[in-house]
Amino acid sequence: MEIDTVKERAGPREFSAADEMPLEYREAATRMIEFHANSEIMGAYLERPFIREAPSIDRKLAYSAKVQDEIGHGQLLYRAAESLGVKTREEMLDDLANGKGKFLNCFHYPMKSWPETAMIAFFVDGAAMRRQATLRRTSWEPYAHAMDKVCFEEGFHVKHGESILAELMTGSKKEQEMTQEVFEMWWPRIIQFFGPTDDKSTHHDFSADVGLKTQSNDDLRNLFLREYIPKAEKYGLEIPDEPRIRQRDDGTYEVEEGDLDWDEFFTIAKNEYEPGLGQINGRKEAQKAVQWVRDTLEWENVPEGTAKPQAAD
Amino acid sequence: MIWEVFRQEEQGDYHTHCGNVHAPDREMAKQFAAIQHARRKPTNSIWVVPKDEIGELDADENSFGGVTDKSYRWAPTYKSDLDHAAEVIDSEGQQAEAEKQRGDA
Repeated sequence: MEIDTVKERAGPREFSAADEMPLEYREAATRMIEFHANSEIMGAYLERPFIREAPSIDRKLAYSAKVQDEIGHGQLLYRAAESLGVKTREEMLDDLANGKGKFLNCFHYPMKSWPETAMIAFFVDGAAMRRQATLRRTSWEPYAHAMDKVCFEEGFHVKHGESILAELMTGSKKEQEMTQEVFEMWWPRIIQFFGPTDDKSTHHDFSADVGLKTQSNDDLRNLFLREYIPKAEKYGLEIPDEPRIRQRDDGTYEVEEGDLDWDEFFTIAKNEYEPGLGQINGRKEAQKAVQWVRDTLEWENVPEGTAKPQAAD
Repeated sequence: MIWEVFRQEEQGDYHTHCGNVHAPDREMAKQFAAIQHARRKPTNSIWVVPKDEIGELDADENSFGGVTDKSYRWAPTYKSDLDHAAEVIDSEGQQAEAEKQRGDA
């Protein structure tokens, strides 16, 4: 299919493995879905220690279920990415281990205390869910199908996160202060979740033209702020003074971009941020430690030179 | 040779199993499937899969999930009076539906 035809036909769930898609489309879709898959995996690794550190048996059960879900989402998404015939699942997992694979800015930061779990589970997952709901209308059908299942499960994550937040914000004064403190630390990162403003976004135009992305960074950031500022305030959190956020007459928000640390953001985007490298290597070590399990699985030992999956399969 | 048939109604929908056909090869299987399973119903696409290629695991050999109470992993367990985002409400509704089916198994 010619790229002009792709742009013309672009619409929700319009293209599948039955279509012969141009390389430019397949590469853009692979980059996007691989990033998403990697983010699921790295998010799960960030939250995993809190299965052990959960303050109650209920939280422990919920956290272990959540981590299990996120790893599952990663697997679904690697399959959707693989269906484009550009990279194999193994190549993507190897790239994640060797520091080439890119993933969400928020998961490059260390998570040390329990109140931080609410920041990830309520606000980051809330932001992710806003975005994922729009991706159910992406043009690559296998990606949209993966989003159906992810969105089905994700509501639990957000509501469980809210439950942690509610508990902390109605707890002792100390708990409330700790929660406000981590909120101030995470808030700018969460706003940066949506990436730089549209005119500075590198990949937006093409992805939007071919229907991979259905909403721009700015639209999504707006949708998030409109929904989650009132929720933060309802639980007694104070929105930090910076970044400055102004509400326009039409109800949308303007974020003062200069108040955000873009040097840090782009260092993270290159996988060069020190704590993020710690996360990448931590996962790599965990992978190594259980290599023997994979080695015993016969299907891992397929002979060299086995045909790579193609989009036309 | 038996081929299982999966029909997709509209672009973007899931291919769902709708029956099977007898056919000597893939080409004939596609033609028979189109005639037998997509003649009266609107169809966007059909998959045919050799029956032998399908692996089956049933409830006698395996104990599947979805029967024990794991309310901790469902959104409706976490009560709140917050006005949730549309996609969270949507997810919660689907989960409530899935939890209802648990008893039917």
